[in-house]
Amino acid sequence: MHAITSDSLSKTYTSGVVRRREVPALKDFSIAVEPGQIFSLLGPNGAGKTTFIKILLSLTHPSGGEASMLGKKLPDTAVKTRIGYLPENHRYPAYLTGEQVLHLFGRLSGVRPSELDSRITPLLELVGMNQWRTMKVKRYSKGMMQRIGLAQALVNNPDLLFLDEPTDGVDPVGRKEIRDILIRLKHEGKTIFLNSHLLSEVELISDRVAILDKGTLLRVGTVDELTSTGSLYQIGFSGIVPEALLTEAAATVMRITVKNDMLTAELQTIQELNRLIDLLRKHNVDITSVVKQRTSLEESFISLIKREVAS
Amino acid sequence: MKVVALILNTFRELLAKATLIILAIISTLILIGVALAVSTSTGPDGVTLLLFGGQATPPLPPENIGMLLQPLKLGLAGGLFTGIILFGVFATAGIIPDALEKGTVDLYLSKPIHRWELLLGKQLGAVFAIFLNIIYFIGALCVIFGLRLGVWDFSFLLSGLSMAFMFACFFSLVVFTGVVSRSTAISIIVAFLYLFVFGSLLESRQTTLYRISEGTIYRAVLDGLYYIFPQVNAMQSNVMKQITSQPMDWVPFLQSFLSGVALFGAGAFVMQRRDF
Repeated sequence: MHAITSDSLSKTYTSGVVRRREVPALKDFSIAVEPGQIFSLLGPNGAGKTTFIKILLSLTHPSGGEASMLGKKLPDTAVKTRIGYLPENHRYPAYLTGEQVLHLFGRLSGVRPSELDSRITPLLELVGMNQWRTMKVKRYSKGMMQRIGLAQALVNNPDLLFLDEPTDGVDPVGRKEIRDILIRLKHEGKTIFLNSHLLSEVELISDRVAILDKGTLLRVGTVDELTSTGSLYQIGFSGIVPEALLTEAAATVMRITVKNDMLTAELQTIQELNRLIDLLRKHNVDITSVVKQRTSLEESFISLIKREVAS
Repeated sequence: MKVVALILNTFRELLAKATLIILAIISTLILIGVALAVSTSTGPDGVTLLLFGGQATPPLPPENIGMLLQPLKLGLAGGLFTGIILFGVFATAGIIPDALEKGTVDLYLSKPIHRWELLLGKQLGAVFAIFLNIIYFIGALCVIFGLRLGVWDFSFLLSGLSMAFMFACFFSLVVFTGVVSRSTAISIIVAFLYLFVFGSLLESRQTTLYRISEGTIYRAVLDGLYYIFPQVNAMQSNVMKQITSQPMDWVPFLQSFLSGVALFGAGAFVMQRRDF
């Protein structure tokens, strides 16, 4: 059973009373998220990331397609007892303290009051907010709001957690702490669905990533799959690469360049890599490193979006 | 349990807004004024009601002193009814638009509650807060009349239930407007327009609006509108009858209840169809 499935999900917003304008936010969006994974949805502003979460949580009605969460076809109110959600730009009632926020949303999640009492303190400690538990949320900083928001999303001990920009406004140390919490939750078997602009963070913790642009799914895969350049290898060496070696290698290798102490070659198979290494050794070139070249998730994301814009 | 959590949270929200506290303070000042103003004087001809030390009624047998209080009760209850509707709407109209604000509604609706439950919890929370104010005022009046005048008549408290019921029905209009407009200001304006303009016009339609046209459709629309909205004036008359122990007309109760349910249902329907 998947934690989330969506099948040809689409959403078109309409605006204007006299001249109705249709804005497609999601187009035939189909994905499946395995349980126990950290799955990240990436995309520029307006790509449809938040719309997708809102459809899953029945905040927005889909225009077409269907979806399910934790095996329940949506919409399903009861399944939300097993869901946690930290929305982007959340606004907690300003008259509540951090502790009262957890009480309120815990009770709305169906947690018994007696159970809440024992759950709130560890949660506040987990997100580093225990010392500010009695402070009104209107006095919280952005980072503190994110932390209390994360605790709120966890208050019902959910199996599936939706986090929309969870580290927005959080300092680097806080971001690391939140990342650690998410990894810990994953190890506890929870599924985490993440929307984030911070691609470097997504890269660090995500098992699978989907890239969405203008409501269309562009790519989905593991971070390795999305960041791998496919066949580019960098071979570090000491000494001099003779011209003859390059001529000999060029016969079988698609592209080969040498710069300083680094040889870059585009190779189709691992056998080609081994042949190139044999050739280097035959010419008494000392190899110091062999690295399969990767791009960062950010570079991969930007190039994908640029290609999409160009097409 | 979830609706109870919403009711308590709404009560807390209204306390934080201070308008409810102001209403309680105004009630307390009036109660202190009443406590200081009313007293009795017993003479050979009977008991006389005194207001600010001056004789307000001729001497009557002690068993009739309760009757002397009726005009005072009617005046206070009438003022309370109007005050509760006006001040109550003003104090509570913001709870629906506030709950539907972006960033807040997402949090509520991501929980396992139905959209109508959110509205119901908010409405009952507002009614509960207003009910406490009514009971505080009328209960304290009962105690003042008992201690100062020796008249212990707790049937007066029942009129508080009628007022709270009327507020609950009328508040459905505020809920509906709040859902449709998502604006506190518009909710208040619509409620006050109904109270001061449309409600009175519709109630007196046979002598006013009927004169504009004799068309049956026109008149049917007016009649329909009259029955769609809570019968505020008729309910106020009922409260007065209740205080003076006269038989009440139950039709306005039923009409107000049905219109309250219909307006709430319409609000829930709009809410259900909306994208957040």
